[in-house]
This record gives sequence, structure tokens and C-alpha cells, in this order.
Amino acid sequence: LVLVPLASSLTDEGKALMAIKSSFSNVANVLLDWDEVHNDDFCSWRGVSCGNLTMSVVALNLSNLNLGGEISPAIGDLRNLESIDLQGNKLTGQIPDEIGNCVLLELIDVSENLLEGDIPFSISKLKQLELLNLKNNQLTGPIPSTLTQIPNLKTLDLAQNQLTGEIPRLIYWNEVLQYLGLRGNMLTGTLSPDMCQLTGLWYFDVRGNNLTGTIPDNVGNCTSFEILDISYNQITGDIPYNIGFLQVATLSLQGNMLTGTIPEVIGLMQALAVLDLSENELVGPIPPILGNLSYTGKLYLHGNKLTGPIPSELGNMTKLSYLQLNDNQLTGGIPPELGKLEQLFELNLANNNLEGPIPENISSCTALNQFNVHGNQLNGSIPSGLKHLESLTYLNLSCNKFRGSIPVELGHIINLDTLDLSSNNFTGTIPASVGDLEHLLTLNLSYNHLTGPIPAEFSNLRSIQTMDMSFNTLLGSIPAELGQLQNLASLILNNNHLSGKIPEQLSNCLSLDKLNVSYNNISGIVPAGRNFSRFSPDSFIGNALLCGHWLGSICDPYPSK
Amino acid sequence: TVVERRRLGGPGSWPPSCRSKCGRCAPCKAVHVPIQPGRSMPLEYYPEAWRCKCGNKLFMP
Repeated sequence: LVLVPLASSLTDEGKALMAIKSSFSNVANVLLDWDEVHNDDFCSWRGVSCGNLTMSVVALNLSNLNLGGEISPAIGDLRNLESIDLQGNKLTGQIPDEIGNCVLLELIDVSENLLEGDIPFSISKLKQLELLNLKNNQLTGPIPSTLTQIPNLKTLDLAQNQLTGEIPRLIYWNEVLQYLGLRGNMLTGTLSPDMCQLTGLWYFDVRGNNLTGTIPDNVGNCTSFEILDISYNQITGDIPYNIGFLQVATLSLQGNMLTGTIPEVIGLMQALAVLDLSENELVGPIPPILGNLSYTGKLYLHGNKLTGPIPSELGNMTKLSYLQLNDNQLTGGIPPELGKLEQLFELNLANNNLEGPIPENISSCTALNQFNVHGNQLNGSIPSGLKHLESLTYLNLSCNKFRGSIPVELGHIINLDTLDLSSNNFTGTIPASVGDLEHLLTLNLSYNHLTGPIPAEFSNLRSIQTMDMSFNTLLGSIPAELGQLQNLASLILNNNHLSGKIPEQLSNCLSLDKLNVSYNNISGIVPAGRNFSRFSPDSFIGNALLCGHWLGSICDPYPSK
Repeated sequence: TVVERRRLGGPGSWPPSCRSKCGRCAPCKAVHVPIQPGRSMPLEYYPEAWRCKCGNKLFMP
């Protein structure tokens, strides 16, 4: 008597598939039909594709199914596999060596999993492989230099792993490679002059590794590159003149230790869509010829040691949407020509040594969303035209020498979420219209010479989280209406001339966890409400007539409930 | 196309002309296209490349 179990109707490939299933977890719902008992036609199973004539598995697509567990070595028994797509699961363990037995594989995508261990050398046996995507895993060890033995490899994406060692130089001699993604690993060593042997490559990305050394002098020979991203490494030395021969749309060199000046030749690279030289140690002026880059949308030069003026020629960069020149040592005024940048979305000039007023022309930058001039020596008053910047969400004029009153029209910039006018010489009263800024999250008017009352209209600032009006000469009492502000976390009013009582209603501000009314002329008794007990005496001292629970208070000891 | 974009001899580059790169579709214009390099930090921008665009279709320059 021979017992024939039902499962025996499966071929070797069917058995391999069942082995693959059994090493996965979380399969209950998604691989229901992988069931040899009820359906031995594995070619009809979810994610399985077979060749027309051979009835052999050619593709396995189980992406984004939340699968856990491991990739079974049985995958090596699927000898006719051309494509494996397991991306976007929660697979752990190693990539099995046996994958090297699937010699017809053209595509491997196991990205966005939790795979660990080394990249198996056996992958180098896959001579048909065109795409290898292992990004976003926890792979360790080196990039196998044998990967260079794959003659047809077009896409190699190993980004966001924990790979160590050097980039194997042989990899640069692959003439069919189009995409090399190595960002977010721990690779060491230098950029090799051989990188320009990649004559078919358009995407070169080693961002966020530990590469050292200089940019190769022949970098301009990498003429097939469209994207060159070597940002966030420890690259030193000058930017070579030869870089001007590149044809790239994106040049990202930020977050290195590059020295010297910005080569003028960059101003001839009109194919640049994104130029990022920020966070290096570059010195000297911003070359006016950069104004030639009339197709560039993003220019980042912040966080260097650049000196001299902002060239008025930058106003010719009509496609510019991001201009970040902050954290340098730039001098002179803000050129009125920047008003020609009608597509400008973010303008950051903070932490330089700029002088003079904000030019009226800035009001022509109607697409402007973020405007930051914090930490300069700018003066003059807030231009009335600023009210035309209706898209502004962030306005920071703090730490300058601005004077005059806060224009009523600021209340028309209705999308503002941050308004910071602190540490200037603003005078006059706070316009009630500021209370119209219903989306405001942060309002900072501290360290000015503002006087008059806190507008009761501030009760309309429904979203406000931080309000700082300290170090002014504000008068009157704290409006009881502020008790309506349910998101208010921080209310800083110290060092003013405020008088009257602390309104009981402030205990309705349930989010309030930082309060400072010290050094005013406030009187009465600190509210006994529950949330007031969390504020230390520091919040209240310097008000001679205020009674509260601290040593030396006018009413010491504090009246018990 | 790289050779076509290059000025004779010297350094410098130019956006693609996109002339007859969109098949029969017109007008065919050069645009910046963000390339997603994977899970990006929220404050990061994506690298950008040039593509030729006609209507809502993209073509290689």
C-alpha cells in the first residue's frame, strides 16, 4: 500500500513556494490561496506568475503585503525566476545565498524591509540582473566588489543601509550602470577619479556617508550625470574649476568641509535646477555671475563664511523659488532687484551683517511664503507693501535695528503662522489687527519699546501656542479674554508696566505650562486655580503688590484655601 | 543629447531643448522633475532632473 498525500501533486517549484510561504509570517490573510490542498495550480496563486509554455515560476510579486519572517533559501529552487519583488514588507534575516541559483533573474527588489547581514556574493552570479534594489534595510558589511561582474546591471540602489568599507573602484567601470544609489550608509574612503568612467550613469548619490578626500579634479568628465549628490560627507579641499563641465541638473555638495571660493564657472552651468553648496567652509564673495542661472529653482549657499554683498544680479534668476543665504558674513543692503523674483517661495537672509532697509520691491515677490532676516543690522521701518505678500506664513524680522510702529496692515497677512519682530526698536502700540491672524502659532514682540495695552482682540488668535511680549513698556491689565486661548502653551509678559490683577480666566487655558508675568506692576492675588500651582514663584516675582505663595510675598504667608 | 547641450569647447551647460523629444505631442517643454531617492527626511528637497513635458506626459530629453 502506498499512501499518496494530496500535496504530492505539486512539482518541485510548488514545493519551493510552500517552503517560501512557511518561512513568512503574517501570511494568514494575504497568502490564503497558497494552499496545495485546495489548489495545486500554483501559477494562479497570488503574486505568482508563470511562463506561458513552461508552467514555471518567472515572477514573484509580494510587495507591500506586510509580510514578516524571512526569505526562504528555497527561493533558489525557482530556477526560471526573472523577477522578485518583495519590497515594502517587514522581512527580517538575511538574503539567502541560494538567490544566486536563480540565474535568469533580471530584477530583485527587496527594498523597504528589515533585512540584515551582508549582501551575498552569490548575487554576482546573476548575469542577467538589470535592477538590484536593496534600499532601506539594515544590511551590513561591504559592497561586494564582485557586483561589478554583473554585465547588465543598470540600477544599483543600496541606499539607507549600514554598509561599510569603500566603494569598490571596479564598480565605476560598468558602462551600462545608469543609477547608483548609496546614500545613507557608512561608506568610507575617497571619491575615485574613476567615477567618470561611468559613461552611462545619470544618477550618482553618495549623500550621508563618511567619505573623505577631495572632489576629483576631473569631475567635469562625468558628462552623463544628471544628478551628482555627494552631500553630508567629510569632503575637503576646493571645488575644482573642472566642475563647470558637468551637465547636471542637481549639484549637491552641502554638509562637507569644502574650502576656497565659489568658482565663477558655476555661473555658466545653466542646466542647474538645484545648486546646493550650503554648510561648508566656503569664503569670498557670491559671484555675481550666478545671476546667469536663469533656469535654477533652488540656490542654497547658507552656512558658509561668504563675505561681500548679495549681488543684485541674483534678481535675474527668475525661476528661483528657494534662496537661502543665511548664516554667512554678507554685508551691504538687500538688493531691490530681488523683487523681480516672482516665483520666490523662501527667502532666508538670517544671521549675516546686512544693513539698510527692507526694499519696498520685496512686496513684488508675491509667491513668498517664508521671509527671514533675523540677526542682521537692518534698519528702517516695516515697508507698507509687505501686506501684499498674502502667501506669507513665516515672517521673522527679529534681532535687527528696525524702528517705527507695527503697521496695522500686518493683520492682512492672514496666513501667517509665525510673526517674530523681537529685539528691534519698534515703538507705538500693538495694533489690534494682529488679532486677525487666526492661523498664528507663534507671536514674538519681545525686546522692543512697545507701549499701550495688550489688545483684547488677541483672544481671536485661536491657534496661538507661544506669545512673548516681554521687555517692552506695555501698560494696562492682562486681558481676561486671553482665557479663551485653548492652545496657548507659553505666555511671556515679564518686564513690562502691566498693572491690575491676573485674570482668573487664565486658569481656563488648559495647555498653558509656561507663564511669566514677573517684573510688572501687577497686584491682587495669584489665582488659586489648579493649573496655576504648576508655576513657580519666578513666574510672579518683581510685582511688589502681588500676593502669592513665595517667601517675602506681600501677603506671606499665602492665604490657604 | 549631452553633446548636443554642450557649448563647443568650453565649460557650461544648458537645459535640454526638447526639440522633437515628445513624439508628435506639442508643445514640448523642458521641466524640472523631482527624483525620489527613497525615504527622505521631511525637510529635504528631492534631487531634480530635466525632462521634456507635453500635456501631462514626460519624455527623456
